[in-house]
Amino acid sequence: MQVADPKQLVALERSAARKRTFYRWLLFLILGLFGIYYLAPLYVMIVTSLKSMEEIRQGNLMTLPGDIRFDAWKTAWSGRGYAAGDVFLRPFFWNSIKMVVPAVAISTFFGALNGYALTKWRFKGDNLLFLLFLFGCFIPYQAILLPMARTLGIMGISNSIVGLVLVHTVYGLSFTTMFFRNYYISIPDEMIKAARIDGAGFFKIFFKVLLPISSPIIVVTVIWQFTGIWNDFLFGSSFSFGEAAPIQVALNNMVLTSTSVKEYNVDMAAAFIAGIPTLLVYVLAGKYFIRGLTAGSVKG
Amino acid sequence: MATLKVSDLTKNFGSTQVLKQINLDVSDGEFIVLLGPSGCGKSTLLNMIAGLESVDEGEILIDDFVVNRVEPKDRNIAMVFQSYALYPAMTVRDNVIFGLKQRKVSKEQIEKSLKHFSKMLQIDHLLERKPAQLSGGQRQRVAMGRALVREPHIFLFDEPLSNLDAKLRIEMRHEINKLHEKLGTTMIYVTHDQVEAMSLATRIAVMNEGIIQQIGTPQEIYDKPNSVFVADFIGSPAINLINGTFSKNGAEPCFIPEQQKDDVKISLSDYSFDSEPKDGQQIIFGFRPEHINLPDVTLKSQLPVQLKPALIELTGYEKEVTFEFYGNEVTGRLPRHIETELGKPISLNLDLSEISIFDRESTMRI
Repeated sequence: MQVADPKQLVALERSAARKRTFYRWLLFLILGLFGIYYLAPLYVMIVTSLKSMEEIRQGNLMTLPGDIRFDAWKTAWSGRGYAAGDVFLRPFFWNSIKMVVPAVAISTFFGALNGYALTKWRFKGDNLLFLLFLFGCFIPYQAILLPMARTLGIMGISNSIVGLVLVHTVYGLSFTTMFFRNYYISIPDEMIKAARIDGAGFFKIFFKVLLPISSPIIVVTVIWQFTGIWNDFLFGSSFSFGEAAPIQVALNNMVLTSTSVKEYNVDMAAAFIAGIPTLLVYVLAGKYFIRGLTAGSVKG
Repeated sequence: MATLKVSDLTKNFGSTQVLKQINLDVSDGEFIVLLGPSGCGKSTLLNMIAGLESVDEGEILIDDFVVNRVEPKDRNIAMVFQSYALYPAMTVRDNVIFGLKQRKVSKEQIEKSLKHFSKMLQIDHLLERKPAQLSGGQRQRVAMGRALVREPHIFLFDEPLSNLDAKLRIEMRHEINKLHEKLGTTMIYVTHDQVEAMSLATRIAVMNEGIIQQIGTPQEIYDKPNSVFVADFIGSPAINLINGTFSKNGAEPCFIPEQQKDDVKISLSDYSFDSEPKDGQQIIFGFRPEHINLPDVTLKSQLPVQLKPALIELTGYEKEVTFEFYGNEVTGRLPRHIETELGKPISLNLDLSEISIFDRESTMRI
């Protein structure tokens, strides 16, 4: 082996340190650029929604508003209050809430129950059944529009919130079942055996033993379902119109059907309002998600 | 009173038969260890006794009643699992009393049992903790507590010590032993660890490929294994097995190792055959490593041998030495003060009173 010259080593060390600093800064630069790229539309939305129409016409997209006014937000939320046929978001926002809360709750609950039965109470053909559930995940929205419309018609719940809840629950069940099945398969069967010997039955084991340790996957499922259902436009516009429409449909109507001048500030505010609940769910549930992941591990 | 009887029990998973007509009779207060390699069906048998697996054929009787279709909770059993299977969302207290709550035991009774057994298992200071906050040994104790408070007629253990580190395993083994002594409850214990089996059991059932190969006291199993499988499975280092032929040799029956001339003969006159083999029958000659030893005048039947060490391993209080023995490698267990040197022959004795002879074809003891 060659004996290293100490001077050379010092030089090597120094150049390595320089290289590290350089790459670090390069990394931050690239990340920063991407950050700006992704955040720019959000910035434009917020800034525009706070300007008056006058300002929008005079300035460009990026300029900050002269003075902050929430008029556009107010208009988007509750309208101007005089024109008949004036579209504003408030009633449709509540429509969406009334649709998304039961749909998420029901599909998550039954997904959990399905996942539990499929993994812990094995029966003949359980794998085939799960395969069919998986298949359900790959069915595109468009494929079920017509049969669903027929079904809703026969059941007499077309153009209603209840109908939309049903559609989203049924469509989401494949996904929620898959999530819970994949989570429960990692929970040792011995825990269920122990509970059976202790005298707990099917539902008792589910509610007392499994559900309390399911928070990570519940959060994942809720985020997935909430985002999907809240942001859905296709089912909403296909199976509902007028007063029963969810917020995404109303937003579309508001932006596309205004008769007078395009009010960009109101449009931006409306789009933002329509996005707030999903943002909120991410911010609130994300915290529990991480907490759920770190706590409650079975083995040490 | 708690007896268990298993008769002609059969279990299939799909087309594979995992248990083949198992028969087992356990009397009150016994500690039975089901021992065998993984996949031999021992855990399946235990699960069936617990009622967690259905019975395909045969019967399981607890206290002389057929319980084939009785729910696990009504069988008067408790089970301790390898992964402890504690309920992660509940505190230690709730874990332990979960079973009692399910059977609607009165509050005072629950408190009393909890107090008694948590003290006995030294987990009384952990009652408010969650399982995630416990060490492996503590979890094991809680799992035992959960089984104990139910005061079952039969305890079932499914490899309860396999997840513990070596030191803790021995500690818990002692405690389970003491527990059995104290409670005198019937226990069925599944393990693949022969040391656990030897030290805990009143009787061991050695299982392989869905059948019980041999059942007997640890001493019987160790000294008189009834097949090559049992002989080889029990004991560490493993028993030495040498192929050869049986020769009547006039009045003195003897063993001739394979590929040896007639002048190498090991006398079998002191071995009591179950059934005398034919002249020239292919047999296997087995002896345990501790039966190669220094000459001992008190032994009446021994064979002096000159052996060359090929490998020497010190285990601490003794040496495991591998020798060349008529074309086979055999292991001997020698006291550590005996001087050994690689390649240098030493005079030793083979104790012929403790050997086992197997038929080569059936691999059964003869």
